[in-house]
Amino acid sequence: MITAEQKPIEEIRGMMAPYKRVLALGCGSCVAECAAGGEKETAMLASALRMAARIHDEEVLIHEKTVDRQCVKEFILPLDDIIHDYDAVLSLGCGAGVQAVAEMYQEIPIIPALNTEFLGETKDQGHWVENCLGCGDCMLYYFGGICPLARCSKQILNGPCGGSVDGRCEVNPDIPCAWQLIIDRLTQLGALDRLEAIYPPKNWARKQGSGPRKIIREDQQR
Amino acid sequence: MTDSRKRTLALFYCRNVPGSSETDRQAIEKATKGQVRLFPLPCSGRLEPTHLLRALEEVADAAYLITCPEGACRYFEGNRRARKRVERTREIVSAIGLEPERVGIVIGSKESPRTLTQLATEIFDKICQMGPSPALRSPATEVSASDGRRNRL
Repeated sequence: MITAEQKPIEEIRGMMAPYKRVLALGCGSCVAECAAGGEKETAMLASALRMAARIHDEEVLIHEKTVDRQCVKEFILPLDDIIHDYDAVLSLGCGAGVQAVAEMYQEIPIIPALNTEFLGETKDQGHWVENCLGCGDCMLYYFGGICPLARCSKQILNGPCGGSVDGRCEVNPDIPCAWQLIIDRLTQLGALDRLEAIYPPKNWARKQGSGPRKIIREDQQR
Repeated sequence: MTDSRKRTLALFYCRNVPGSSETDRQAIEKATKGQVRLFPLPCSGRLEPTHLLRALEEVADAAYLITCPEGACRYFEGNRRARKRVERTREIVSAIGLEPERVGIVIGSKESPRTLTQLATEIFDKICQMGPSPALRSPATEVSASDGRRNRL
C-alpha cells in the first residue's frame, strides 16, 4: 500500500491562507490504512484547522468528506454535487489521489495535506516499512523474497558488502542487513546457488527512464 | 465546584471508574449546571483524538479522560492505548497554538481509588485556573448540534 504522513499544520495553513471555503477530502484506501488520511484523520485535521482559524480570528469554513478512493474517477464523481461550493480542496489523499482530483476539477485549487512516502508493508500496528521501490522488474525470486534494492542501504545486487555487524546494516544499524536476510532465507530454502549468478546493474529505465509509467490492459477496458 | 466559574469541561471516562453510574453522571452534570459534560465510554481505549478535538471545538474549554489504573483495564490495554491517543491530541493542540494542558488524562489509582465525582471536581478546579479557550466556538456564533454535524458531509 501507499504510505503517507500528514504535513505540519502550519504548512497546511499557509497553503490554505487565500481560501475561505475549504473542503477537507479524505481517502478511505491506502492512506486510511496507514492512519494518515482516512475518515478519522480527516475529521481530526478539519477540527484542528477550524480551531486554529478561530484562534487567529480568521473566518474560514472547513467541511470534511471522505471518499473510498481518490485515485479512481468513479469514486470522485459524487463530488460534482458539492465541490463548487468551495474555494479549494484540501486533499488527504496520496499524490495520485491529489492529482486525480485536480484533473477532475481543474478550476478548483487543490492543496495536498499529506506527504506521500513509500510503498509500504504494515509490520505491526502503527509501523510501516518500505520493502518495494516499484522498480518495474521484480527480482525477488532470485533473492529469496527480500529486495536488496529496497532494503539494502547500498542497493547492492551482488552482495553482501562485508560491512554488516551482527546482522545489522553498517550504514544504519537500526535495520537488519538485507544481505544477511537474503543468505539466511536462501539457505533455509536450499537455494543458495541462486547467488552464484552475477546480476548486472539494474535497468532503471523500467522505473523512471521514460517519464511517468502507465499500464494499459485492453481486456480491462470498455 | 462553584457556579460562578464559566469554564466548561468535557470529561470522558471509563465506565469501570468507581462511582460512575448513570445516576452519578446526572448528579455531577446537575451540580455543575452543565459546566462539566460527562461522556461515558465502555473502555477508555474507545477514545479517539477526534473525540477530544471535537469537544474542544464545540463544547469545552478543556477535554480530559479518566481511565482505570495501569494494569487494571478490563480489556487489558485500553488505558495504555488511550494514553497514547491523549498524547497525540496534545501534540495537535500544541501545533495550533492552544495550551496542551487543555487536554489531559487522569489515571485512576489502585491503592487509593477515587470516585468519578472526586476526580471530576479536581479536574474541573484545575481547568478553571485557565482562561477561556480561544478555540471554542463563541456563544454568539454557536449553532445547534445538528449544524455542527454538518461539518461532515
